[in-house]
Amino acid sequence: MFKDLDPILHSQLRLAVISLLISVKEAEFTYLREKTDATAGNLSVQIQKLKDAGYIDVVKQFKDNYPQTICKITPAGVKAFEQYVKDLQSYLHK
Amino acid sequence: MEEKKLSEEESLLIIQQMIQTAKQEQKDDGKGWITWGWLLFAASISTFLNLQFHWYSTWIFWNMFGVITLVFMLYAVIRGYSARKTERVKTYTKDLFDKLNIGFFIFLTIIILSINLGVGPVKGFALLIALYGFWILIYGAALNFKPSIIAAFITWGFAIGGLFVPASDFKTIMLLHGAAVLCGYIIPGHIAYKQFSKLQKRGNTTHSV
Repeated sequence: MFKDLDPILHSQLRLAVISLLISVKEAEFTYLREKTDATAGNLSVQIQKLKDAGYIDVVKQFKDNYPQTICKITPAGVKAFEQYVKDLQSYLHK
Repeated sequence: MEEKKLSEEESLLIIQQMIQTAKQEQKDDGKGWITWGWLLFAASISTFLNLQFHWYSTWIFWNMFGVITLVFMLYAVIRGYSARKTERVKTYTKDLFDKLNIGFFIFLTIIILSINLGVGPVKGFALLIALYGFWILIYGAALNFKPSIIAAFITWGFAIGGLFVPASDFKTIMLLHGAAVLCGYIIPGHIAYKQFSKLQKRGNTTHSV
């Protein structure tokens, strides 16, 4: 019996963002955009979906008069990612 | 990156690629090891030569090193502050190193105090070498950098050797200290710098931890 993959994570850009955030303490929006090669608009939408799911924390602040968005994975996000990888493994080994 | 339906294999590939990308943030350019390594090496060998040829008072080169250290620390604080401003990603490794750096300097100060409070310079320098080995091992283990892991054990070898140097033989401990710094700081530092430069040329990494 195979579990369905988490629909929040089973998307190219959201999975890329969460995979980056699982490896670092926190990252700026511009860093995520550069590494995922996504457009700012698309990335904003996907980040909002991850935030709504409780998988990441998003802090918006100002740095030297410029807006700055910092993203950080939450414990729920870590748990969801681990479960996703586990489910993925069971699919790949079937 | 466009949105499309993912296969399981594609998902796995994305995870691998992104984790690999994030891992490249965890590289060090070795410049800290090179700078401190050569400074410590110069202080040790100059002191050895000074004792050999009786040029000046015993501690002159270590006092000079102390002044340079204060200048460098001030520069490092300012540089660290401006680097933090431009930092777009914070890694766990960088966080760990920042905290351990504080612990390292506190421990270093305690050893220097103990040298002045009766432990004596020879045994004190042996303890300093042992402390270097500990920091080198943590660095090597955190960054999975084998030259530093090997260097840590070599450094501890020099530290143990230093414990057997008679309290009156300051020249020998200076030679051991210089050798420990050469093996523990300078050589791994240059290897790290070479590897980091190669990665930068390939465009695989942007900045050091």
